[in-house]
Amino acid sequence: MIHFRPVFFIIGILLATLAVAMVLPALVDGAAGNPDWSVFAASAALSLFIGVSLIIGNWAPHFQIEVREVFLLTTLAWLIAAGAGALPMVFSALHLSFTDAYFEAMSGITTTGSTVIVGLDAAPPGILLWRSLLQLFGGAGFVITAIAVLPYLRVGGMQLFRVESADRSGKTMPRVAEIASGITVIYLALVAIDATALWFAGMDGFEAVCHAMTTLATGGFSTSDQSIGHFHSPAIEGITTVFMLLGGMPFVLYFQLLQGRPQRFFGDSQVRAFLGLYATAVAALVLWQWLGGGETFPQALRDVSFSVASIMTTTGFTTVDYQTWGGFAVVTILFLTVVGACTGSTAGGIKIFRLEILYVTAKAQFRRIVQPHGMFVMHYGGKAIPDPVASSVMGFFFLFALTFATLSLALGAAGLDFLTSLSGVATAMANVGPGLGAVIGPSGNFAGLPDSAKWFLSLGMLLGRLELYGVLVLLWPEFWRG
Amino acid sequence: MIKLRPIVFAMGILISALAVVMGIPAVVDWLSEYGRDASSFAACAAFTLFIGVSTVLAASGGDEELDIRQTFVLAGFGWFAAAAFSALPFAFSDLGLSPTSAFFEAMAGVTATASTVITGLDSAPPGILLWRALLQWSGGIGMIAMAIVVLPVLQVGGMQLFRLEVAGMGRRALPRVAEILSSVGLIYLVFTTLCATALWAAGMTGFEAVLHAMATVSTGGFSTSDQSIAHFHSGAIETVLIVFMILSSLPFLLYLLAMRGAPGRLFADGQVHWFVGILAGAVAVMTYWLWHHNGAPFLAALRESAFNVVSVVSGTGFTTANYDAWGGAAVAGFLFLMVVGGCGGSASGGIKVFRFQVIYETANAQIKRLIQPSGLFVPQFNDRPIPDTVATAVMGFFFLFAVSFALLALGLSAAGLDPLTSLSGAAAALTNVGPGLGGVIGPSGSYGELPDMAKWLLSLGMLAGRLDLYTVLVLFLPAFWRG
Repeated sequence: MIHFRPVFFIIGILLATLAVAMVLPALVDGAAGNPDWSVFAASAALSLFIGVSLIIGNWAPHFQIEVREVFLLTTLAWLIAAGAGALPMVFSALHLSFTDAYFEAMSGITTTGSTVIVGLDAAPPGILLWRSLLQLFGGAGFVITAIAVLPYLRVGGMQLFRVESADRSGKTMPRVAEIASGITVIYLALVAIDATALWFAGMDGFEAVCHAMTTLATGGFSTSDQSIGHFHSPAIEGITTVFMLLGGMPFVLYFQLLQGRPQRFFGDSQVRAFLGLYATAVAALVLWQWLGGGETFPQALRDVSFSVASIMTTTGFTTVDYQTWGGFAVVTILFLTVVGACTGSTAGGIKIFRLEILYVTAKAQFRRIVQPHGMFVMHYGGKAIPDPVASSVMGFFFLFALTFATLSLALGAAGLDFLTSLSGVATAMANVGPGLGAVIGPSGNFAGLPDSAKWFLSLGMLLGRLELYGVLVLLWPEFWRG
Repeated sequence: MIKLRPIVFAMGILISALAVVMGIPAVVDWLSEYGRDASSFAACAAFTLFIGVSTVLAASGGDEELDIRQTFVLAGFGWFAAAAFSALPFAFSDLGLSPTSAFFEAMAGVTATASTVITGLDSAPPGILLWRALLQWSGGIGMIAMAIVVLPVLQVGGMQLFRLEVAGMGRRALPRVAEILSSVGLIYLVFTTLCATALWAAGMTGFEAVLHAMATVSTGGFSTSDQSIAHFHSGAIETVLIVFMILSSLPFLLYLLAMRGAPGRLFADGQVHWFVGILAGAVAVMTYWLWHHNGAPFLAALRESAFNVVSVVSGTGFTTANYDAWGGAAVAGFLFLMVVGGCGGSASGGIKVFRFQVIYETANAQIKRLIQPSGLFVPQFNDRPIPDTVATAVMGFFFLFAVSFALLALGLSAAGLDPLTSLSGAAAALTNVGPGLGGVIGPSGSYGELPDMAKWLLSLGMLAGRLDLYTVLVLFLPAFWRG
């Protein structure tokens, strides 16, 4: 039997929190004399009402939460947060359809950054702030989920990141709560530093805050239709590149940095592989652009380092249309889209640690082929990889490919062309943002897609954000039985 | 240290056999009065025979058996040498292909891929056409023999699943192996004869019928016309080919069991069920798409989708329509179908159906374990539990396939191809299907226009795909050559 009461209770808390957050854009719009403030106030009141009723209606002195409740809770939390986040967009001056609003909110809360809104530069400040806030919350929510929940659920090899000493001491929750709050502080501090730096580099205060929130969340919503390209500023691009990369690395390791142990940070195999892959991709594309594309070296370095960081960290900011760089760049970016960044960050994608595990497993297999009777223990970060971890990582990889194929067939059936459907699914499942092709490419927009395609893509974002298993498990009959 | 002499000896035999086969097109060209091509075939055959026999003589003496590492070397280099020597007639015939194009065409032949660089097949001399078909036919039986005897022993990508079946047939392994191989060869020959007869009855000339039968049973896909099967405009021919393409993608070991009085196994096999299910599903969806979305009449839609889907899934690569122009879902669908491939233990390429079964069962058990962490769930294949090592090997294969695909596609795009051509070209080569997607290498295109660099990359892809990746890639491992 699944206990729904604790699930609804926590969802109530989530809704109430979102309602409080909606007050911020209401205040900003009110101060700017924009009539949208009443929409935000009304949405806040509605969300608060539903949230508080859920809290009161499901309150109990003692809760019992087990694995299945947690699975249900994570999926529902994201679905309902997107629903509540869509409310202000439907009723605001933008007059989005419900499909568009839900897509935009899902893209925000999953820190994807695909947008259906055209004319951001002239949009009221409240809605711009709300989009950034959704990404800020989505990013924080995901980091905490990745540290506290997914390892507990053993999703796709995440058990490797179980908080140490969690199993035996019995003091699991305090330790997890301590880490979660510490990470939230670091996350907010990084946002503040980024905002200050962007402000110094020439953004106005509002733009700086909005962009800082979506940078550290690796979300990628901007206040302009041209994204970061709007500012034409190398300083802003440089700062954003650094903070995108910071947003793509495991947040837990920043503790180590703060405690004066940089070797723990730079010695982490995931960080090293991530930075190594980033450097390789940048070098290859800079050479391609410089020698083959006729750009000057500094210009190529500037464009490539920004775009590759934006794609790999699954942020999705753009400064130039990298599709004009030719076939090699397009194929590279398509593959980098699904790779993603480190586990334990706000980034999406398959993630570096999984690729590392797969690599180690494949290597062990080769050796086993050469020496059929040898014993080979696979290592990751100096520790042996337990068999269940290796096989659930491989299962994740297979499910990713299968979901990818299914969704891109569905998008093709919805009428999209080949490159749009393939890259659209990749960008949604990896929570990146822009796709490839003329429609949803870096200088395009998702507004022109048919409604069915928007729903498929919203599903893809959710599946990708919750590491597939988190959602797919709900489709198994065994989940609901007994 | 790996002893090379037995490997060289076996390769000498392979090359000599190839030279003998090369004599056939020489005779055919001579009979049909293509004197110049006849003499170039004869010269190539003589040269190849000379090299082969001298290799055999130089490396003979001693009859130790091959160990595992020697088998790997032989498999990788044997296929490579076969392609290199088979390329000779292409380079020296009237077609005058460049060495790169000739090697590409020969590699496409022996790996039973259907990608061709030759345009103007309809007016090509019969010798060359026969040579292409013979290459695919020999490549096909070579692949089946490897899939039944060699790959299970090498434990490549989960193929060890099929070792149990061979071992289960008798105690003493080796005499059994020879016996199995000759029976499978006989079945292969019977299928080819039946297919050729049926094609001839359906309206092909005798020569066309034999050539197409060879290209069908090996799931190769070389045709005698630039338009492939569309040239014949015949529903009967397409039906015959559909039947034989399907038959050639099923595990040949099951036919053997059927011959020995256990025909039930053929119908009870899980892999066969999955394969037929995938085919039926894909044909149904594609027919519906053509009928409903593109507005084709129902029967025409069924005919076109049935033929082209079967051709792509089985890895044959014949075409009757330019499915490239069917629209978004169809194009994406064909790309994914390419990757699926036929059954393990046949001549067809791709990831192969049994691997999807193993992975599906494993993932299913994993998800159930997530729901009930303390439950015991054992994934099964054909009613037997799947050993952990097999599951890991299959998943490792899957990952390796994805990485090879990504690297090959990157390499092709760096050689200057557009994204659709690079992605579909990489898939079509690794899965030994043949035609890719897009304007250049699509169903109505040809590989002739590609830059040389791309042709070499694709040749490597075909070889790696044919030998289930591990067999080729293991040769690049330093640890393999050490100790």
